[in-house]
Amino acid sequence: MATYARPVERLITELSKLPSIGPKSAQRIAFHVIRGRQEDAFGLAEALREVKERIRPCRRCFNLTEAEECEICRDPRRDPSVICAVEDPYDIGSIERTGEYRGLYHVLGGALSPLDGIEPEDLRIAELVERVKVEGTQEIVVATNPNTTGEATALFIAQEVEDLPVRVTALASGLPVGGDLEYADEVTLGRAFAGRREL
Amino acid sequence: MTAYLQALRMINFRNYADETVLLSPGLNVVVGENALGKTNLLEAISFALTGSTPRTPKENEVVRWDQDFCRTEARVALEDGGRKVAVGYAPGQKKRPTVDGVPATSLTNYAAGGAGVRVINFFPDDLRIVKGAPADRREFLDALISALRPAYARAAADYARAVQQRNQLLRRIRDGFSSERTLATWDRKVVELGETVLKGRVAAVERLEPFLADSLGALYGPEKAALRYSYSAPLETYAEALREARGADIERGTTSVGPHRDNFEVSLGGVDLTTYGSQGQQRLATLALKFAARDYVRWATGEDPILLFDDVMSELDEQRREYLADYFLQSVQAVISTTNPEYFRPEVLQRSRVIRISGGPVTVSTMAGARG
Ligand SMILES: Nc1ncnc2c1ncn2[C@@H]1O[C@H](COP(=O)(O)OP(=O)(O)O)[C@@H](O)[C@H]1O
Ligand SMILES: [Mg+2]
Ligand SMILES: [Zn+2]
Repeated sequence: MATYARPVERLITELSKLPSIGPKSAQRIAFHVIRGRQEDAFGLAEALREVKERIRPCRRCFNLTEAEECEICRDPRRDPSVICAVEDPYDIGSIERTGEYRGLYHVLGGALSPLDGIEPEDLRIAELVERVKVEGTQEIVVATNPNTTGEATALFIAQEVEDLPVRVTALASGLPVGGDLEYADEVTLGRAFAGRREL
Repeated sequence: MTAYLQALRMINFRNYADETVLLSPGLNVVVGENALGKTNLLEAISFALTGSTPRTPKENEVVRWDQDFCRTEARVALEDGGRKVAVGYAPGQKKRPTVDGVPATSLTNYAAGGAGVRVINFFPDDLRIVKGAPADRREFLDALISALRPAYARAAADYARAVQQRNQLLRRIRDGFSSERTLATWDRKVVELGETVLKGRVAAVERLEPFLADSLGALYGPEKAALRYSYSAPLETYAEALREARGADIERGTTSVGPHRDNFEVSLGGVDLTTYGSQGQQRLATLALKFAARDYVRWATGEDPILLFDDVMSELDEQRREYLADYFLQSVQAVISTTNPEYFRPEVLQRSRVIRISGGPVTVSTMAGARG
């Protein structure tokens, strides 16, 4: 391990705490910052500070917001009878970009995983059930990740609202559009087959 | 002529720094003294065409000592021309197979025939399929089905993960860290995936049985060979059995019911070969299972897989060696290693490609491709 001046070491250490940044990348980024312009570095520092000071979870849906409630919750044109439950705030961006969904969201904050010690209490599932009761929600669209933990979380949510007059749906795991069937990954294609529908 | 391997380049693979080996359709005999790299060559072919080694779960062992990556490049002959496939591997990083320079969509998809040709291999350690524990037999079956159905490969991997999650939950419940609230959820997930695995395995065993009976009949004799899938719980009562096991499972902290506990029995004339078979019977049954696997792949895809059989001749008597030599000669492609080329009759060697491994560069000495 090479040794640099203490502030350089500190920057490398902080950077390597970030996800998907190993020690080598951290070093590369650190030297990029050191070589770069001062305004850029201060801009980055300021952006980091601002995001921690000003951003908080929406009190209704736990999306990220500067206000008490996020823009989506405050938008009167959205359909409040449908809630789409996602694992993380950035999933909202992906769904919004489709332009297909006009309901509200609920950020769970992860997925059930005994191996990681994640229990229902660690997620915002009780808050979701409460919202369904208070807001009279008619449909929950569970859009957790299509893996074991995401799917178990979806099943658990369905079970938790079993006695409430709300419909629970899940996204179809379908084929990527705009591509040829020939190029679809076989696992996705296999699932699409299993989930085929009547025409 | 169906697909076969024309050429293989190994870079930093086991004892090979950078070697290229040319192969012929039909029989290829890999000859060399012990410890010079015969098995390594067969392993490299498997790695090149499936993206992983069948020989060890510790994959980083295949990287040449003191190197930090290995790479295989293969040229596969297909009916409509050729295909170049490559697998690069640096331990700790994701493997990236490419087909004609284009990254494969995933390793799972690559393993399930992405290279254009499938392999059936036999390594001496495979004797454990018949001789060993149920886990060894399940592994054989899962690998065979996965090579044909990527969706099965994914379900089997997800099933293993779901069982791990359930086991951890059971322990947390037992030790007071979790309530039982989510157990029903994990049970549902486990059953959903486990059913896919069960159905796949049962169908495969049914299909394999007549193939095995034929192969073992030819290799051994008239006694009838049978395969029987033995369940910890059959499909119809699986969910119920898992629910009933909850109490005991919590106490033990593991999942006692499901396909991860199943077995299949290989028997001959009604006698279970794992428990009662002689060493010779177990060996022939393992070979017959591999031949049955080849028939199964042919049935499922209409294509012959290539055969990679390591050091298979030495333990057999002359009559069976001749049978095998004929079998290999008649296959689309077989790569067979041996220390002693005299295990093959001269007429057979004349119709084969002989690849000599001497520790130095690999040389191909003779008579390439009588069938070329
Ligand atoms: N990762 C590796 N790097 C370099 N050499 C290796 C590696 N793994 C095995 N070997 C060498 O390969 C040789 C064994 O080759 P192998 O193919 O098993 O021989 P055989 O011809 O008897 O089948 C041994 O000498 C061993 O030291
Ligand atoms: Mg060997
Ligand atoms: Zn909100």
